[in-house]
Amino acid sequence: MSQQATALDTPNANEDEYRMGASLTLLARFVRPYGELVAATLLALVLDLGGMLFVPTELASMINTALNQGGLDELMRHGATMLAAALVGSGGAVTTSLLAARLSAKVGRDIRVAIYEASLVFSGSDFERFGTGSMITRTLSDATVIQQTLLMAILMIMPVPIMTVISVVLAFRIDVVMGWILLAITGTVLVITIIAVRISAPIFTRLQGFIDRMNARLREAITGARVIRAFGKEASSRERLDGTFTEYAENAIKANLLFSTADSMTFFLMNSAEVLIIWLGADRVGAQAMQIGSITALIEYALLIMFFMMMAQFALLSVPRALACLERARQVLEVTPEIADPATAPGAARAGAPAHGLADTSQSGAPVAAFDHVSFRFHDASEDTLHDLSFELRRGEVTAIIGNTGSGKSTIARMLLRFHDVTEGRLLFGGVDVRDLTQDELRSRISYVPQKAWLFSGTIAENLRHGAADATDERLWHALETAQAGFVRTLPDGLESRVAQGGTNFSGGQRQRLAIARALVRDADLYVFDDSFSALDFKTDAALRHALKPELGRAATLIIAQRVGTIRDADQIVVFKDGRLVGFGRHDDLMDSCPTYREIAESQERKEENHG
Amino acid sequence: MADQREHEDLMNANEAAVPEDEERIPAGMAWRTAANLWRAAAGIRWRLVVAVCSTLLYVAFSLAAPVYSAEIIDLLWGCIQRSFAEGVPFAVTLEDGGRQILIYLGIWTAAWAFYSVQVMVMSGFAEQLNLALRSRIAEKLGRLPLSYFDVHQPGDTISRATNDLDKVSEVLQRGLLQLIIAVTTLVGALIMMASFNLVLTGVFAVSVVGAFVVTRFVAARTLAVSTERQEAVGTLTTRIEEAYSGRAVIKAFGRERASLREMSEAADALARTSAVADFITNAAGPAVRFLVRLSLVGIGVLGGGMLIAGQLTVGVFQAFYQYANQGSEPLTQVSMTYNMLQGALAAAARVFALLDEDEVVPDPAEPATLPVGSAGRVVFEHVRFGYDPAHPLMRDVSFTAEPGQKVAIVGATGAGKTTLINLLMRFYEIDGGRILLDGVSTRELTRADLRRRFGMVLQDTWLFEGTIAENIAYGRPEATREEVAAAARAARVDFYVRTLPDGYDTVLSNDAESISQGQRQLLTIARAMLSDPAILILDEATSSVDTRTEQAIVHAMETLMYGRTSFVIAHRLSTIVDADLILVMEAGTIIEQGTHEELLAAGGAYAELYRSQFA
Repeated sequence: MSQQATALDTPNANEDEYRMGASLTLLARFVRPYGELVAATLLALVLDLGGMLFVPTELASMINTALNQGGLDELMRHGATMLAAALVGSGGAVTTSLLAARLSAKVGRDIRVAIYEASLVFSGSDFERFGTGSMITRTLSDATVIQQTLLMAILMIMPVPIMTVISVVLAFRIDVVMGWILLAITGTVLVITIIAVRISAPIFTRLQGFIDRMNARLREAITGARVIRAFGKEASSRERLDGTFTEYAENAIKANLLFSTADSMTFFLMNSAEVLIIWLGADRVGAQAMQIGSITALIEYALLIMFFMMMAQFALLSVPRALACLERARQVLEVTPEIADPATAPGAARAGAPAHGLADTSQSGAPVAAFDHVSFRFHDASEDTLHDLSFELRRGEVTAIIGNTGSGKSTIARMLLRFHDVTEGRLLFGGVDVRDLTQDELRSRISYVPQKAWLFSGTIAENLRHGAADATDERLWHALETAQAGFVRTLPDGLESRVAQGGTNFSGGQRQRLAIARALVRDADLYVFDDSFSALDFKTDAALRHALKPELGRAATLIIAQRVGTIRDADQIVVFKDGRLVGFGRHDDLMDSCPTYREIAESQERKEENHG
Repeated sequence: MADQREHEDLMNANEAAVPEDEERIPAGMAWRTAANLWRAAAGIRWRLVVAVCSTLLYVAFSLAAPVYSAEIIDLLWGCIQRSFAEGVPFAVTLEDGGRQILIYLGIWTAAWAFYSVQVMVMSGFAEQLNLALRSRIAEKLGRLPLSYFDVHQPGDTISRATNDLDKVSEVLQRGLLQLIIAVTTLVGALIMMASFNLVLTGVFAVSVVGAFVVTRFVAARTLAVSTERQEAVGTLTTRIEEAYSGRAVIKAFGRERASLREMSEAADALARTSAVADFITNAAGPAVRFLVRLSLVGIGVLGGGMLIAGQLTVGVFQAFYQYANQGSEPLTQVSMTYNMLQGALAAAARVFALLDEDEVVPDPAEPATLPVGSAGRVVFEHVRFGYDPAHPLMRDVSFTAEPGQKVAIVGATGAGKTTLINLLMRFYEIDGGRILLDGVSTRELTRADLRRRFGMVLQDTWLFEGTIAENIAYGRPEATREEVAAAARAARVDFYVRTLPDGYDTVLSNDAESISQGQRQLLTIARAMLSDPAILILDEATSSVDTRTEQAIVHAMETLMYGRTSFVIAHRLSTIVDADLILVMEAGTIIEQGTHEELLAAGGAYAELYRSQFA
């Protein structure tokens, strides 16, 4: 087993050590603000352990007093000291529990908040590197593991050195020879503990992998029940599960045996230590170097040291997992956001409507935003997602974008909001390169309806006010009417109706209309609808577009669409194919001049013809 | 002096530092569940018997040790005093106390041996029992009716097979025997102490009663606080999940600061409750130990007085101290373990509830057989069905799909289009009437034989963790790589697969969403293609894929449908219009059937649906 373990360890031992160092540095960063709390916790721990050791010490003194025919008052004096030790020790122990729980809870909280805060400045690509699922794990369960391990470390690992120092000092005070013996016993147990942890840590880490696998396979078998049965694969699915279960059981038993062996060995060591102390202790008493009652105290010291070592060994097993969690937190925290605000931003002074540097675009027909030979490429891609695009979004005009998926339509919207930056060329907003604006300034001028209508738990009113916190109820109702979301009036609680997480208590079409209303509540220079109409039926789509026209007349509008019907009336249509602009103009022109556009339109019209 | 148990017990108290939700279980169910576990342990019960016997022997030896140590100390003290009186130093030799010390070591070694036998025997017991139960769950999953999966969240079932059984093994591994050790040690220690000295025993007994009061109080508080903590975790989880899913909205609307504030509040609320919860759990041990220490002070003073008065020997005094330690540490243990035991039994009860779920009707003993080249004629005859038989959805539905025909199923979301699939493939049993496949009632066939005739391509594009080739060959594992590639070509996904670095050997893992929904659907088409069924059930692609991929899927499906009877859940007008039969569904039943023209002419629900723009 140990050979296997080392074989697994060695290949990237250096890298592991580097990671471990970095992880611990990160932990230190989170613990540092609570220096006083840490000091108080350690002090309480010292009192706890000191008290724990003074109880047997005083008991021994009482025995010695009694055997030396000391007086009752001397006995009472030792009794009083022992009482004090009990009070200090137990008080210290309770305080340690209190402070350690507080400290670890605060550190856990700070890690969570730090990860979330870091994520807020991530660009789209930064976030995608981790993915939503993984980010949730890092923020929630990883932080919990770190928190619990920190708590265990304070309560179960920290006592070892403190305990050892105090015991050894006390032992030396009783008798120098016995002091050395206790030191020798401690050293032996320490070596054994280190070996045990070295052997068992990788096994426990691997066990965690088997647990994850068990979960994944079960989920697969359950969510796939229909398909598995359709193909009559019940037996092979069962074998797959059995295989995973057996693998886990074998490893779990191996780990348990290891644990039991350690347990049993400690027990044996404790016995040996006790007998050794009685034998040698009696010799020392015989040599008049110490008194017989002290044997009790010495045995107790040895047993306490071994006991805390064993607890530490147990706690150490969860350390590799916590280090992995810290490493995962570090990966998030150390990301240098791909997109950062300029050091000196023209938009920093945001007093007037046209901020410093931004051109006045209030005239109808003035370009609000402009793509100037823009290309975009994801860093891991070998080809441009968007290639050499140039077009303008003008005030009072509707620009539409159509094209196949993977053609980069949505990337256009995401670039306007600066979730991604151009790879080549320039993207101008109000005549200023967006990279020279702060993200806040830029986004405050755009109102956006995402492809996936996402609502937050709360009320409808709260959701609608996301973009304009002080909007009146009238304004909200107006936006709802425009967005064809009049159904809100029929809800018993109207604007105060509850929205479930993700808005799942509304249908897809309702969510989409609420998301559109949310965007309309906000005053903006540019409205971006990212494929926001496809969840609507044709009738609502048409009614909505009709209602939007007067609303958005003062601004520039960008509609990303799949249906030709949705964009037929647009002032200009941009046709994409595989990231390249292949057509540009109005509907009728494009039907003549752009084969890609015609192809899309015809494939859709075939369906509509039938519908009559 | 060597009270190993103290150390074990402290350790368990600290294990509770990891949050555990506690539960209560009614006594009747607890015994039933225990009996079920005993039955499930067939074949490995001897381990439990051996472990319990070793445990009792271990306790006996560890209780005997202090008595003997009292004699040793007294003997040594006697020798030492004699030597001092003679004015010579004393040293332990084999004759002078050494033998007794070695015997003492022997007693502890025996205790150690029995203890080791117990832990070793039990280290395998719990996991073997779990493996047996998990294996039964794996088998059960294949025999549960589909209705079980439709009603229960996957997470709920997974948690029974993992977390719940882990709780059981946790208790079996340590808890159960610890409870036996704790109780017998406490009782034994009290008896031994009483035999030495009643007054001192009385002092100790007072602290025992106090300890029980404290632990009951702590257990009650723990329950309340852990509920609070669960709520705080729930709130934070919701906030985090929606913030990450909706981060584009948060950023677009400049709500970063507001959102960070909300998150900090939720995280802070959790930090506050978990600080309290962890404190209460970890403070129980020190509180009990304090009571014990108080009694030790009393014992020290009183016993010291007796020692001076000669009413007590030094050995007995030390033995008494050992018993006090041995007996006191299990105090926190008893209450904690009792809670753990309750939780584990409740967990085991959930596992047995899963294993006791109703199963599908067994296949007929002498099933009918279908000809090898099945034609694919499907007939519904007066079919009656309801998910809850008390509330039938379908009453008396009849229709016929001739071989090679295309049947379109239309209706609003939730109209019960999947109900039809469930009945066709016998995922659910009908309550009346018959479904015939090539003239044979589907009830007379084995499910495997029936389902082999069907191919299924649904929106839910389930693929398992394995290579792309393995997934395509799911219905025909013996297919050659060339056949797999041919199916993929027909499904128009071959090119895409070949652009992947590992091609057909690319492993699809569950968490990686590296391949898009559209490609996944094409893979499921290839999978159906390769198994070459007589009848197809298809769910058309919807707006989750783009126009071009949609085109690819439509063409692939057309290829697949060629020459087969197909049931198509329709979202597209073209599908409906040229269908040989249209089934219009509403509220779980078929309300109209006929061709496009017939139904339009009838001017019923279909005509209405069609006019109101079928999107």
